[in-house]
Amino acid sequence: MIALVRLRLAGFVRTGRALAPVLAGLLALGVLYGGGRARPAEAYGVSAVVLFPVLAWQTKILLDVEPDVQRRLARVVVGPARERAAGLLAALVAGLAVVVVALVLPWPIGGLTPAAGPDGRSALVGVALGLWAHLLALPAAVALGALASRAITRSAGYGVAVLAVGAVGFVVLGLSGSLVPWLVPPVMATARAVTGPVAFGTGLLLTGWAALWSAVALTGYAWGRRTRA
Amino acid sequence: MRLDGVWLRYRRHGPWVLREVDAAIGPGEVAVVLGRNGAGKSTLLQLAAGVLRPSRGRVTDRPATVGWVPERFPADQPFTVGAYLAAMGRVAGLPGPAADRAVAHWVERLGLTRFHGVRLPQLSKGTAQKVGLAQALLRPPGLLVLDEPWEGLDAAARELVPELIGEVLAAGGAVLVSDHRGETVRLPGARQWSVAEGTLTEAAPTEGSAVAVVELAVPAASLATAVARLRADGHQILRIRDHAVPATATPPGRPVAGPPTAEGVSPERPGPAAEVSR
Repeated sequence: MIALVRLRLAGFVRTGRALAPVLAGLLALGVLYGGGRARPAEAYGVSAVVLFPVLAWQTKILLDVEPDVQRRLARVVVGPARERAAGLLAALVAGLAVVVVALVLPWPIGGLTPAAGPDGRSALVGVALGLWAHLLALPAAVALGALASRAITRSAGYGVAVLAVGAVGFVVLGLSGSLVPWLVPPVMATARAVTGPVAFGTGLLLTGWAALWSAVALTGYAWGRRTRA
Repeated sequence: MRLDGVWLRYRRHGPWVLREVDAAIGPGEVAVVLGRNGAGKSTLLQLAAGVLRPSRGRVTDRPATVGWVPERFPADQPFTVGAYLAAMGRVAGLPGPAADRAVAHWVERLGLTRFHGVRLPQLSKGTAQKVGLAQALLRPPGLLVLDEPWEGLDAAARELVPELIGEVLAAGGAVLVSDHRGETVRLPGARQWSVAEGTLTEAAPTEGSAVAVVELAVPAASLATAVARLRADGHQILRIRDHAVPATATPPGRPVAGPPTAEGVSPERPGPAAEVSR
């Protein structure tokens, strides 16, 4: 399966289609950190929100870059479960690279301040919270991108629609005061939480919420792929 | 490998492409899947290979290693022939050196040596089809599924396909192959599965059912009469071609302009086949 992950990542990078989401991500980070120095936890929380649709889009592109027949060839060779898992794993690896860039890039461009905030929280704690926020967003974004991929939607139009509705819903339903916040992954809720002290119970709740949402979405992807080779 | 009561449709409430299909193929057996365009030959082959999942019924006893050659190889990929095949060898579970050895063997065997460093999108249809064949054979398959494998291949490669099938059979593998050009006359002794109206029927085996291709030249003016007579005698006309053009150079499925030639075989009954030309 690792060989298939490598093959798909190589295809994604070599076609040049990785460039568009990377540029979009860099643009978003540039806008986010262009206004001056921010404290890490708060800035990273917003960064995770901003990157969520970018990561989902990147996942869709990565899964769609492989021709349908090649995906079916892989299915024959490694079996349906491993073929699905390899695509998701490749998307997670590509997403992790974006997360690393999102965590590191703000420092050399002066977007973050290492000074402790008024609440006494150190920059290191802020970075840890930022990493947590991004890692909560990544599996959910991969799941959304997978649901929008051509293997599921079978057409470019439906794929873009799933991605757009997912991204808009993610923001609208994630707003403070939303009636159905559980319909979307808790990335916005996490961004709000990291502005202050994060209680252990809150952290556990948000982590469980994100994990459950991702699991449900990925199960939907796996179910949809049963009859969609 | 066995298909038990397999039904398939591509979407819920869509039309059934295959209905109540029961079939089995064992080690050392080859079956030719015949049927008109859109009858469901490729669907049946994809069910056997594991690409598609039956809507109803089940496929059992599928060998662990399956080689599938799709009708059209997906050449729109950013890899060279060598890099792609090496990667597919590793995906198939071959360790690095073994994958490299398998790639070197099949590249040489299929005449792909000078294309080793060529990118897949730059390949001709026939050469891409050879890459499709190579990827299916990197690991000796327990089941080899070939969807129109002769499509686009040159004469030498067309001759090679039955040889490769024979090797898979000799190694204890099973082979399923679809064909609409009559090339499967090259596979004497193959079982014949016909797909029509969503159902699968197998022609009853007959003694001496092997067929052969005979080339004949007929005057252009009496071509229609000759073809009609051959058909009336139970022979199958495979194609009509220009006598001036070698048979192997005739574009597949397309009659050429100029004095025509016909090929015929007789799968309906034992006896000689005829290729009629003039």
